[in-house]
Formats: sequence, structure tokens, C-alpha cells
Amino acid sequence: MTDRQESALLLLPGLLLLAGAFLVPILQMLALSVAGPDGGWTLDHFRRFLGDGFYLAVLARTVRLSLVITAICLAVGFPMAYIMARARPRPRVWLIVLVILPLMTSVVVRTFGWMVLLSRSGLVSGLLRDFGLAPRNFALMYTETAIVIGMVQVLLPFMALSILGVILRIDPRIEEAARTMGCSFLRALAAVVLPLSLPGIVAGSLLVFTLSASSFVTPNLLGGPRVQVLAASVWRAVTQTLDWPFAAAQAVILFAGVLAILVPYIRIAGRGHG
Amino acid sequence: MAEVRLADIRKSFGRTEILHGLTLTVASGEFVSLLGASGCGKTTLLRIVAGLETVTTGRVEIAGADVTALPPERRDIAMMFQSYALLPHLSVAENVRFPLRMRGLGSRDEQAARVAEALETVQLAPFAGRRPRQLSGGQQQRVALARAIVSRPKVLLLDEPLSNLDARLRQDMHVELIELHRRLGLTTIFVTHDQEEALSLSDRIVLINAGQIEQEGAPAAIYDRPATAFASAFLGAANLVPVRIERRAGEAVAVFADGQALALGPGAWPEGAATVALRQEEIALHAVGDLAAAGGPRARVRTRVFLGARCRYVVALGDVTLRALTGNEPAFAAGAEVSLRIPEGRIRVLPG
Repeated sequence: MTDRQESALLLLPGLLLLAGAFLVPILQMLALSVAGPDGGWTLDHFRRFLGDGFYLAVLARTVRLSLVITAICLAVGFPMAYIMARARPRPRVWLIVLVILPLMTSVVVRTFGWMVLLSRSGLVSGLLRDFGLAPRNFALMYTETAIVIGMVQVLLPFMALSILGVILRIDPRIEEAARTMGCSFLRALAAVVLPLSLPGIVAGSLLVFTLSASSFVTPNLLGGPRVQVLAASVWRAVTQTLDWPFAAAQAVILFAGVLAILVPYIRIAGRGHG
Repeated sequence: MAEVRLADIRKSFGRTEILHGLTLTVASGEFVSLLGASGCGKTTLLRIVAGLETVTTGRVEIAGADVTALPPERRDIAMMFQSYALLPHLSVAENVRFPLRMRGLGSRDEQAARVAEALETVQLAPFAGRRPRQLSGGQQQRVALARAIVSRPKVLLLDEPLSNLDARLRQDMHVELIELHRRLGLTTIFVTHDQEEALSLSDRIVLINAGQIEQEGAPAAIYDRPATAFASAFLGAANLVPVRIERRAGEAVAVFADGQALALGPGAWPEGAATVALRQEEIALHAVGDLAAAGGPRARVRTRVFLGARCRYVVALGDVTLRALTGNEPAFAAGAEVSLRIPEGRIRVLPG
């Protein structure tokens, strides 16, 4: 047996798993999304989605929220990753543990925590009202802001850790060299560290964007029935109206929407440092 | 002009003090080497001049201005790193333009002209569009040099910039550095652990040992007259041999542990226990009975290492091991008995 055949053999279990657990369901979903009531095929489900202002608004909200969440995760995660990368090894381990800690509790429990904090009588809304920063009947629960807050907390580790891996490989001497060439600390960050950590930023943004576009537990609980996102709408169609073909059509649209944004993004980012 | 003054510099990392009150002035346009073994604090001292490290106590002045509290970007310096620290995402020309762009020196056209001139100086003009990783180590090193001189800094700081090059390239770069320094007249501080490099490049060598200045002076002076045992051992890798100095028949001799004596020649030698420093290249080996080495101590050859142009012998004089660097002829095999000739006046006696 040649080396090539041996590596093919080693690849086989992974390929089988991918095919069985990923490709087959996706193909099934595609088939289901065009399944007519009489066994034939139809585009009615897509027509229904695209013709309904409510569903179009859900789609727009999903994309908008995912972009906002990705941007905030990047703005918070980059400095965080930089500080972790430049810390000494021991404090770095503690910082990483702190960042990962939220991932160790269940999504549902964590989201209930946010519900308590953000509700009308909760700590955050109460404080904002007490300081006169918000009207009397103000509440954060069941708003897009609540979804963004909850999702950023969940997804920040993915962004921070993706960028951390890249910054750790940047020679600190390059930054020092930039300082001796007239860069202030922040200028060196912008002119040297930022462009060199682009691969991590791209990877982290992809992760955060796809995860936030497809998540439904947190948006569902924090946004409520009136502020729906697409994944939650799919879930509703599956479990409440039992309209599986329409659920499949929505899932295909979500899938296509994510691809439509990711593919150009990867192209542009890839050109930037290729 | 750009004189660098370091006054009573102390630096501690945690509870460990690395630099113990160093004072040093580098004259404007002078090329000074900080020479020492790794961990002696020479690189830390250079980084303090650059502003990349703060001092615990002490004062740093560049061109008469106190810069102790200034960050690196506000000191008019350029630094070349051992790893070159080129920016991998920028082309060679953009790397060289970087300090001009960051300091806002000149218009776009002026910057381009200065970049072209700097690349011409290091003979890299044809490579302006390449990325650093597409260049060899020697070429990367030249890019780093061009980048360091392009902004015409007051002070040029070099942190072992040649140690990653092979021997041949390093010798070429020595010549280039000397010529460049002569032409630009930049105040230059050069950190190295390589004594040959320090001897061939510098106007002045500052020998640093354990966070203190051991000795400083012109290369020839410091090489010919090392003041301490450390200086003798570090510069020229001299043999340090414990002896007793006595007077025999009115002449001063150094007596080795096995009783053999070595004539010291005229001079005011303190009698009693001492250490003699014998340079490797000043010990000559002769066949026993050869008149040229008459009266010299006898030793036995332990190992002969052929070095091409020269030959290194390890010889045993009683219990003392000596290294000698000689020509290839005559050759002595391991085990051969030889007479050593060490010219009077070439022997340095250190107290203790």
C-alpha cells in the first residue's frame, strides 16, 4: 500500500461522518424545501417567504444583527486578544480561562441570567432608569439590543481566541522595531499588529457571523416572539406550525444568505494578505 | 551633535539587578561596541538607549536632551535587531519607507527618493518590490540596515545584527558597516558578543561583565593591555595560568606548579602568587633541543586541531592545560614532547 493510499484510508472515517451527518441532511433539506403537497416539486414555499414583508424583515434583522454582533465582538475581542498575547504565560492562562468560562455554562442558563438582568425590574434597566438615562417604562428585554448583548457574550471567546492564536505568532520585536521607527503604541498596533493579525480576524469573524446567524436559543429567549430571527422562525415552523417544507425553505434561504455574505468577504480578505 | 550620555544607569527586573550603575558617554559620530558574554546586560543597556526598557535609576541623554522618560518614538534613533524585524506584510521599499512615513518626513516624492537612495547604498535597488520572505538572510539584513539609515537618525543602535549571517557574509558586512559609518558619521552603538567584530569595527570598545563596565578603550589598547583576568580571557581567549613569581639569578621568572620556569624579562614584577595571561597566538611550539626555544618550558602535545590557515594545539604543562594557535609547520603529533617559546614582553601578569 502506498503512502497516498494509507492517508486516504485515514481520511475515510472523517469523510464518512461528514457525508452521513452533514451532506445527507442538507440534501434532504434541499429536497424538502421544494416538495409539493402532491409529491411533485414546487417553489411555493420560497415564493411565500419572499412575498411576505414579515419574513423579509426577519431575514433583514438576522443579517443586520449578525453583522452588528460580529463588529462588536471584533472591537472588544481584538484588544482582549492583544493583551492576552502580550501577557506573561501565567496571567495569560488565567485570562484565557476567564474568556472561556462563559462557554462552560449551558446556553439556556446563561440566557436566563440575561433575562433577569435585562427585564423591566432587572438590574440593568433599573440602573439606567435611576440615573435618568432611560424613560420610566424602559426595558431592554424583547429588543434587538438584548439579543446583541446576549450573543456578544456567547460569541466573544470565538473571536478572541481566533485572534489570540495569530498574535502569539507575531514577533514582539517587530512591534518594538515599529516603535523605534516613530510609531506610538497605538500607531504600532494599527500599522503592524492589525494587518498581521488579519488571518485571525477573518477566521474569528467567519465563526462569529455564522454562529450568530444560525443561533436561535438566545435570540428566541431574549428577543421574544415579536423580535424574531430566521433560525428561530425555522424552529417555530418545525415545532409549532409543523410546516416542514416551509421550514426547509427558510433554512435554505438562511444558508444562501450566509454564503452570499461570506464568499465575497473571504475573497477580499484573502486578497489582502495573499 | 548627537552625543549619548548614560549616567549611573541601574536596571532591575523584579528583584534581580541587571545593570549596576553604568556610566558611559558616546561622543558624536563615534562607533562604540558594547562587548560581553550573553546575559551581561549589554542588550538591556542598548534597549534603554532606544527607550524600549525603562531605567530603574539613572539618566539617559541624547544630543544634550534628557530623554530618560521619553518613549522610543520620540527619541531620534534607529535600531537594527538581531532578527531584522522586517514587516512581513510590506514590500522591501515599503519597509524602508516605513520610518519616513511614520515620522512624517518629507513629501511622498522625497520619501521615494530617499528610499531609492538607501536601497542603492545597500545594493538592493533591484529587490524593491519583493517581500522580505523572498530574500536571503543577508539581503534581509541589508534591508534592515537601509531602513535604519533612511531617516538619518541622530543615533544608530545595532543589536547583534550580523550574528545570523555566515562567516563570509559577515566579513563583507563588516567592511560595509565601516564604510557606511565613515560616510554618514552617525553616532553608533553596536552590541556584540564577538570580540573580532568589536575589534574590527569600533572606535572604542566597552567591555561589559555582569552589569558593569570591565574596561573600555580603543581596540588596540584594550587588546594589548587587558586590565583584568576577565578582559584577558574574553579578548584573545588568553590562557590564564596560576604561577609564583620569583627572582632567580637576578631575573624575574614565573614558576609553574610543576616547577618549570618562564623568564619574564625586565620589569617591576611583584613577587609571590600571581596569574599570567598567555595569548594563544603568542605561544610557539618548537622541537625539544631547538635553539630558538632554548630554556623555554617543556610540555606534551595532547591534541592538534587543523584549522586550515593555522593550527590549534592543546598542550599539557604539568597539570596545566594551555592552548596555542600556531602555523601549520612544523607539525607535532599528539604525545610529542615540545619546547614552548613565549616572547618576553608578551606575558601579562595579573595580580592574584
